Amino acid sequence: MDVLFTGLYVLVFPGFLTILVLGFFSSWIERKVTARVQYRKGPPLLQPVYDVVKLLGKETILPKRGNPFVFAAAPLLGLASSSIVAVMLMIQPLVASSFVGDLIVVVYLLTLPSLALVIGGAASGNPLASQGVSREIKLMLGYELPFLIVVALAVYKAGFRIDLEGLSGASAPLSVSGVIAFIIALFCVQAKLGFPPFDVAEAETEIMSGTYIEYSGPLLAVFKITQAVLLFTLPVFLITVFWGGIRFVGLDIFWFALKYVVILVLIIVIKNTNPRIRIDQALKFFWGFCAGAAAAAFGLAVAGNVFGIAWL
Amino acid sequence: MQTDVLLLLLGVFMPFGIAVVLFFIPRRLKGVPEVLSLITALACFLSALRFVLLNHALTYSFPLLSLGEFIFSFDLATGPFHFFLILFTSGFGFFIAMYSFRYMASKSRRKEYYIFLLLALGGAGGVLVADHLIVFLLFWEIVSISLYFLITTGGEGSREGATKTMAILGAGDGCLLLGLGILWYLTRQLSWTAATVAVNGWLPAVCFILLAIGAVAKAGGMPFHSWLPKASDKAPASVMALLPASIDKLLGIYLLFVLCTKVFVLPFGLQATLMIVGGVTIVAAVMMALVQHTLPRLLSYHAISQVGYMVLGLGTGIPLAMAGALFHMLNNALYKNCLFLCSGAVESKTGTTELKDLGGLAKVMPVTFISFLIAALSISGVPLFNGFVSKWMIYQGIISGRNAVLFIFLIAAMFGSGLTLASFIKVLYSVFLGRTSPVTKKVSKDVGITMQIPMLVTALLCVLFGVWFSLPLNAFIFPALGSAPDMVGSFSPLLAALLMAGGFLFGILIYLAGRIRRKARTVETFTGGETAGGESARVSGTVFYNTVETMRPLGAVYGAQRKGALDPYTWFGRLGLAFSGLLKRIHDGRLPFYLLWSLLGLGVLLALFILR
Repeated sequence: MDVLFTGLYVLVFPGFLTILVLGFFSSWIERKVTARVQYRKGPPLLQPVYDVVKLLGKETILPKRGNPFVFAAAPLLGLASSSIVAVMLMIQPLVASSFVGDLIVVVYLLTLPSLALVIGGAASGNPLASQGVSREIKLMLGYELPFLIVVALAVYKAGFRIDLEGLSGASAPLSVSGVIAFIIALFCVQAKLGFPPFDVAEAETEIMSGTYIEYSGPLLAVFKITQAVLLFTLPVFLITVFWGGIRFVGLDIFWFALKYVVILVLIIVIKNTNPRIRIDQALKFFWGFCAGAAAAAFGLAVAGNVFGIAWL
Repeated sequence: MQTDVLLLLLGVFMPFGIAVVLFFIPRRLKGVPEVLSLITALACFLSALRFVLLNHALTYSFPLLSLGEFIFSFDLATGPFHFFLILFTSGFGFFIAMYSFRYMASKSRRKEYYIFLLLALGGAGGVLVADHLIVFLLFWEIVSISLYFLITTGGEGSREGATKTMAILGAGDGCLLLGLGILWYLTRQLSWTAATVAVNGWLPAVCFILLAIGAVAKAGGMPFHSWLPKASDKAPASVMALLPASIDKLLGIYLLFVLCTKVFVLPFGLQATLMIVGGVTIVAAVMMALVQHTLPRLLSYHAISQVGYMVLGLGTGIPLAMAGALFHMLNNALYKNCLFLCSGAVESKTGTTELKDLGGLAKVMPVTFISFLIAALSISGVPLFNGFVSKWMIYQGIISGRNAVLFIFLIAAMFGSGLTLASFIKVLYSVFLGRTSPVTKKVSKDVGITMQIPMLVTALLCVLFGVWFSLPLNAFIFPALGSAPDMVGSFSPLLAALLMAGGFLFGILIYLAGRIRRKARTVETFTGGETAGGESARVSGTVFYNTVETMRPLGAVYGAQRKGALDPYTWFGRLGLAFSGLLKRIHDGRLPFYLLWSLLGLGVLLALFILR
């Protein structure tokens, strides 16, 4: 592959720039739909961009009792790791092979945005942020178990392939286990995004945005961009691994867009119709119900494979 | 060839020689043990480096004693991989000696410390080059005994941990001896490489299990793990970094590797046992690490947990996973060494390892913080660091086994990695980030350069092995395995690093766009109007996982563990006490009773003679 083309792929389409635009667009959809659910008019299309520009104009405030260097570096880690995953997922259909790394690399990279948030909160020296850190990391422990089980299930259903291309081509959603896996993965994505009902780490009304509490100005802007990119990346991840994959050819582009919007709307509806649960409830939910359901789906898939029943 | 053998023998025996010399050097001569051990370790390192660069195998035999079938000769058989391992052991020895200049400066038993450090180094080298089973066992024992004495140099209260270590390792070595005896009975050979044993009956199986117990106990895998946390309580951090974290792991896993690939052809049952031991070790040990409150204890539980990955990888019998396990052994030695050294640096500056008394050290100890951060990210398996590569290889190996049952181990291993990350977040927060505590307020600068270099070099190696992993894999690991398995997945670390750097650059540009207009301002943290200062506003990281600790049914398991109900050491301890209690009751001090026992014994002996 030509170096120039790779560079263009990575930087412009479907890389950084496209992802940034689509991320802002997703963020706008999220706010618009939320507004409509609550019978409000909602913000204009460019509102997420205005927010970032506005934040860039604000001064940077560093916490006195924290560690300023780590505090400022953490948002960068979040942005870099979330955009690298987005680039990997989006370039894969164009080059028809895993770009940078395989599914395991993607799964590991997907933990880094949470890690960035946690490190940043820990470095702020704020007791409320410490609460947020504790909750965020426990939440991560919670969703990681069912998430890994359904990812393993996807690998199993793809015929033990972990390259993104193989997964993207082979994931059959039209089976009981496939649907269960998708739903569980959707819950995990909800928690990865820190959306209600899993927004314990931010919890504005009790710990005042928790991990974000000390962030302001450009630092917060970078976190906002990270969240926008994640809001785009995680649904794309779901499509790649659990819902038939992505192809940028003909009608498939339309299907991809449709799937993407469906997932986004599902996430937004869950977000707007559920109250926040406590962290111990979240842990029980993920380690109990979700992990159990995921394991059951795995069992179904194995049974379906052994006995040759395709719809299982 | 002759010079090669001489150099090899010198590389192995020089530490022993210098240790003996040190023994006779008067205590008054300050600095002599330090410098001599440094030079010795360096010499061993250079000799190993020479052999690594020469890149050929070397065998040597020196007959000592021959009694019929039993031949005791000093046999050495080495290849590039052995020298590569010696490169590691002697390199660690060198850096620990350097680190100990300052770290051990205030301790009282310095001379003994250096003597046993050298003995351990020599023993480790001997284990790695020995081909004769008895020579192997001798060197193996030297390492165990050195560890006992090294732990006791920790001063008051360290003897308890040392005793427990000696008890468990001694029991493991006993199993090893028994296993070697059975191996000799089976093959009539006293060489590791002479014959392969097909495990087709109960005796070979017992033999393998006994030998594997020896290996796993040395490496600190479950269920023979409990000596590690106990020893870490009072042992010097440098000792923990050198032996349990690095050399013991290398030796134990090296032995297990030899057993699994060279000596035995394992049936599925034994492989499954190994995999279960590995999987359980990974998750159970890291769950324990999650709730620890002192730094060395927490690190030692992670040291146990990491053994699980290696045992699991070797247990699968799949070449890719086994290569991953071997690579993980090296990677683990690197980052674990670094972590213990950092813990020692924190301890030497603050005088405590209690997590609740620490905090905010990143500002005053930047080098220690950076090293610890790199090592913590490596052990948690973050991409671009070495721990990720070896774990990734093990996962790929498991997946390429194309068996759904194996996925249980895959999920356990990957989840264990997430738990590790969570546990290290707690450490990073409690020790380096967070707020300064009354204890850490007094610290004004980082540790000295002789302590910084070992930490930095090991951390740097973690990054090197993480990005350029194909170098060690192609040069040493695959040749040791005898095959170069294809990767199932793909990962281009340089491209990933480039993209990450691009992402960082983009973020920095955003910062700059904001900073052009105004300067950053530092203000008091915001706590919603409450007073932000004072000790009450400091949240300790030790409370992070209280939810997990009290959750049902985990709470009950944690409770049982605290009482020692899950530790074989406690079980055997109770068994021993019950048995000796029984004997105590027989000893009632009455003469006729003793006479009766003697007569009974005589009767038994007579009966035995007559029946023959």
